[in-house]
Amino acid sequence: MNAVHGRYLHIDLSSGTARACPLTEDVFARLIGGIGLASYLLYRFCPLGADPLGPENPLVFASSPFIGTGITTASKIAVAAKSPQTGMIGDSLSSSYLALALKRTGYDALVITGQAPGWTVLAVDDSEIRLLPGSDLLGLDPAATAGAVRAELGSGFRVAAIGVAGERGVRYASISNDGRLAGRTGTGAVMGSKRLKALAVRGTQRLPAVADPRGVVRAARELAARSLGPGTAKYRELGTAANLAFFSRLGVLPTRNFQAGTFEAAEAISGERLFLEHRTDKHGCAACTIGCEHHYRTRDSGEAVEVRLEYESLFALGSLCGVSDPNAVLRAAALCDRYGMDAISTGSTIAWAMECVERGVRLPGRPEEWPRFGDAEGLLRTIEAIGERRGLGDLLAEGSRRAAEITGQGSEAWAMHVKGLELPGYDPRKLKAMALGFAVSTRGACHNRSSAYEVDFSDQLDPHAEALAWARAAARSEDRAAVLDSLTVCKFLRHCFSDFFAEAADLFERVTGLPMSADELRLAGERINTVKKLFNIRQGWTRADDTLPSRLLSGEAGGLTAAELDRLIQAYYRVRGWDEQGQVPPERLRDLGLADLLADGRMMREYA
Amino acid sequence: MSTGTATVRVELFGIPQLLTGRRQVEVPGRTLREVAGALAQEFPALAGSVVDPATGWINGGYLFVVDGRFTRDPSCPVGPESSVLLVSAQAGGAS
Repeated sequence: MNAVHGRYLHIDLSSGTARACPLTEDVFARLIGGIGLASYLLYRFCPLGADPLGPENPLVFASSPFIGTGITTASKIAVAAKSPQTGMIGDSLSSSYLALALKRTGYDALVITGQAPGWTVLAVDDSEIRLLPGSDLLGLDPAATAGAVRAELGSGFRVAAIGVAGERGVRYASISNDGRLAGRTGTGAVMGSKRLKALAVRGTQRLPAVADPRGVVRAARELAARSLGPGTAKYRELGTAANLAFFSRLGVLPTRNFQAGTFEAAEAISGERLFLEHRTDKHGCAACTIGCEHHYRTRDSGEAVEVRLEYESLFALGSLCGVSDPNAVLRAAALCDRYGMDAISTGSTIAWAMECVERGVRLPGRPEEWPRFGDAEGLLRTIEAIGERRGLGDLLAEGSRRAAEITGQGSEAWAMHVKGLELPGYDPRKLKAMALGFAVSTRGACHNRSSAYEVDFSDQLDPHAEALAWARAAARSEDRAAVLDSLTVCKFLRHCFSDFFAEAADLFERVTGLPMSADELRLAGERINTVKKLFNIRQGWTRADDTLPSRLLSGEAGGLTAAELDRLIQAYYRVRGWDEQGQVPPERLRDLGLADLLADGRMMREYA
Repeated sequence: MSTGTATVRVELFGIPQLLTGRRQVEVPGRTLREVAGALAQEFPALAGSVVDPATGWINGGYLFVVDGRFTRDPSCPVGPESSVLLVSAQAGGAS
């Protein structure tokens, strides 16, 4: 096949050794690349019951056939590890030139296992591997780390780095590269547990040829032109921050730790207001024609801060914590970037602590330092404490689920997570498809692996449609997301296709030379989601893990009930061909072409 | 449009709000198509980027929300008591 190298590099940090291993064509034919490839390698290499912060947990970086082809937005690197937040699959995607650098090394993926004897920078320079001392970088933020590494090794290197949060094992630490983040599920904590401060990659090899160069160029041009059309106007012109005021108006803006769906001060931190009063510039990711990355600057009397801000950071550090000062929200987002922490989990865990204070639950540290809803200074102070694992921050660095389990006093009731991953900015009480998507998602509460909210924010389904219709829509949404994540193409492009699966299959065929139909590509999406599900089952997933926080299932104000969610989940299992307990029958694995690919014996032989 | 057509209050979010400088406007119309046409007529900044002048209907990146229901049905009836929102279609990002 074309457009891939057919091999990955397995690096053992404990021994300082590396070896090239083959990747067969059927892996790409069945799982595409990107998140599909990273999930597959994680499944193969992660032992049963592995400690997410132990040396045995693999940290996988994967590219895709589309990287380096000129297809717009297709320069994303997929990262996967067993998540220290959920104990299940942690997969993340980050736009970056690192993806292109990796592909130019002559490998399609890196699998990093073991633990370095001391803090280390791993340099991958084509086929040469070097483990360099990294202890002098401790305490630096990700951007400063990348700058120092490139100054040492050369500007041809692209760098993925962790901040102080990753060094100190904050369970939702992120990995930063080119200012973009592999943000969710705590892969930065996994990197830190390996004493890996930075990964530096330089590739000088020729990119593998595509099967139909002219066809790919033509299709890439057409897609780039469509990426500038009305389907992406919102992102180009205003950015995702535009969601906030509208969501509040609809009553689906998580506010004060999901105690309300409308924020009375939404206008003050709305995307429209930020655009008029704080926006400075906009940028695009690597290889992107859309340019959705909007930057904002503080406009108060303090030291000026400029930061990239998305809706998810805005809601999590704003309405979720009851904070209405836009300058404070911008400073909070910048702090999360500086420490290298996922803003959603940071804001949500602080909101849990704020509700603890509101309800009189005793927390560690001095009461005058506890954060309270609406307290901007308290928010900023607590983010710093988390990043440094200091005082109350040491508890909150564990994430809302563990913090509540440690604290007790009934606080588990307002820890707003699914499987240990905090909810993003969509209140699922009024969003039925999204509620189901959150509950069954393999990585916990996630709007990106599902995107089912699109069904809720449309006229696709009657609100009273039967459970099976919602389940089909949610499954379809997951499968499309899995394909996009595995092609490593931005989800903002999805409305630029008139028939996504047919056009994407045609593009895949032109790039790789492998025959692919629309139905086969959709099936590949289901296959990828099934690999993730199987990983979770092996690591201890049970039916009880597919649920939502009880607060969201009270049925108040016409919202979802526990019985209704259960019906939706059962319908979803039926659509997937799983049994009533959500287990995947052997015949379903055979139908999907996974039984042989994931045979345990094959995995263990290679790992040994 | 006949005289005496009822006025509809439309709340604007995102780009339509920035283009008009208004969070809420009132335009005549009995259906969403008439509302879209009236919006483009009264606020020329919306013509092209939000409302297609050729069809008189909103572009693909936009939706109406009428009484809590999302719709792109131009024949959807509206009246003075209707809650009408003009919003951008939703799509999440990476990470």
